[in-house]
Amino acid sequence: MSGLCLGFRLGVLLWLGSLVPLAQAQDTLPADHPLSALTQIQNAARTLDYAGITVYQQGRSLQAAQLVHWVDGSGERERFETLDGVPRECLRENRSEQCLYPDQRLVVHRTVGADHFPALLQADPGLISQHYEWRPALGTYRVAGRDCMVSELAARDTLRYSYRLCTDLENHLLLRTQTFDQHGHLVDQLAFSRLKLSPDIKPADMASRHDVQGWTVHQEIHRSVDLLAQGWRFALPPGFRPQAEITYQANAGQSVDQLVISDGLAAISIFVETFDPQRDQNLQEGSLRQGAINIYRMRLATYWLTAMGEVPAQTVRDVVHAAQYVSKTVR
Amino acid sequence: MEAHTPHDLDHLAPRDTDWEANISAWVDGEADLRAEELDNPYGRQVWDTYHLIGDVMRSADLAIRPSDRFYARLSAAVAAEPVVATSVAWWRRPAARQTFAGLAMAAAVASVVWVNWSALLGPQPVDTAPRLALATDVEPAPLTGTDVRLDGYMAAHRAMTGGAPIRQVAFDPMGQH
Repeated sequence: MSGLCLGFRLGVLLWLGSLVPLAQAQDTLPADHPLSALTQIQNAARTLDYAGITVYQQGRSLQAAQLVHWVDGSGERERFETLDGVPRECLRENRSEQCLYPDQRLVVHRTVGADHFPALLQADPGLISQHYEWRPALGTYRVAGRDCMVSELAARDTLRYSYRLCTDLENHLLLRTQTFDQHGHLVDQLAFSRLKLSPDIKPADMASRHDVQGWTVHQEIHRSVDLLAQGWRFALPPGFRPQAEITYQANAGQSVDQLVISDGLAAISIFVETFDPQRDQNLQEGSLRQGAINIYRMRLATYWLTAMGEVPAQTVRDVVHAAQYVSKTVR
Repeated sequence: MEAHTPHDLDHLAPRDTDWEANISAWVDGEADLRAEELDNPYGRQVWDTYHLIGDVMRSADLAIRPSDRFYARLSAAVAAEPVVATSVAWWRRPAARQTFAGLAMAAAVASVVWVNWSALLGPQPVDTAPRLALATDVEPAPLTGTDVRLDGYMAAHRAMTGGAPIRQVAFDPMGQH
């Protein structure tokens, strides 16, 4: 009988183990690599000066934003401001960002871990070819008045979405990206609707038009955390690798642990928070979609486990269901 | 921020599968057998042990009625096992196999599975809070309200994976409700 118990446990471990081992990360790809175009997209987003209007569309919702990106002796600077709906403004200098929430008279300072559109990569581009098929040079198109080359990154399985990209013929800047699900339905898209390259940017263009005097300032402090030592074991979906493991104080004061994983293009955050019977009476388990982001929440032992990412619903569900917690008292 | 580099995080990823796990899974009908990995003395011993367990389970004549003290020791041993909370084990396993296992299996299930049964077995308490779909739904429910905690997660996810809310969806009916 105890042999069967062993078999039962090993059956669980098998599922955990049937995943590809970690590969050592590499930052860029050699020029002759088929995916070197992705590195070019990333470099263009980081090194060019540009100003324009971006449009994000998901379902029936549409949001335009103004984006100015500028590189000088001190590195990258970026100003992002939403033009529709609730006002938001973010100013970034290299990895440090401050976001303004005028409706709440709130300023949040944080360190950002990755780039956003028109950058594409979340992590090591070397991971990508195993799980996406690169289909380059499918034809030319025109976005924001500029000629661009259409290419696709087609997911090899249903754990992730596929992407169609249009990159500037002259400088490889990503002008438009479309996300598709496994049935070929459009999940969301993000594009420049207006773009000016090498604009004449004055320091005043990068300054906020809000006077933040008297606003609440919140500094988000992320500390690294060892989830393994806390007893957590995660089985990541094939192709996903850990990117960061941090803990932070949420607004309500409770501490939240966050593990970020990525397959190079898509990222998933796994949040771990202590279950509080008083506070969490109304919290539900289950799944939710917000935009292209799928969310899955479940209670495990005395914790809430929530996975969230730009991946299909089944993938966030699998991540949560595959997690294990080994009680501290017996470790 | 002192976030780890990817290489620092190797320990969080699953390790290469143990071949003992393969035998277990094959016996459970959940994986293909890799025969070449069994061809060593320890492998053959594990193979024989797993078959002996199967034979005893199928034929009561081969089984010995253990003493009450054995059950007491077994219970103590099970109690001393590390408590692993997971949701994978029971629902990935064919239900038929669970009926074989008797008390020891029940003890194992009790120590391994620690999910919120109420969400799976019974109706949810009625409340007015924003609701999520039941865990068994693969297709997500539409967003019907806001969840402060999920908003916080969303901001944290965005901060780690691309900063500014460039992919932010405004569920904004242009001021009309």
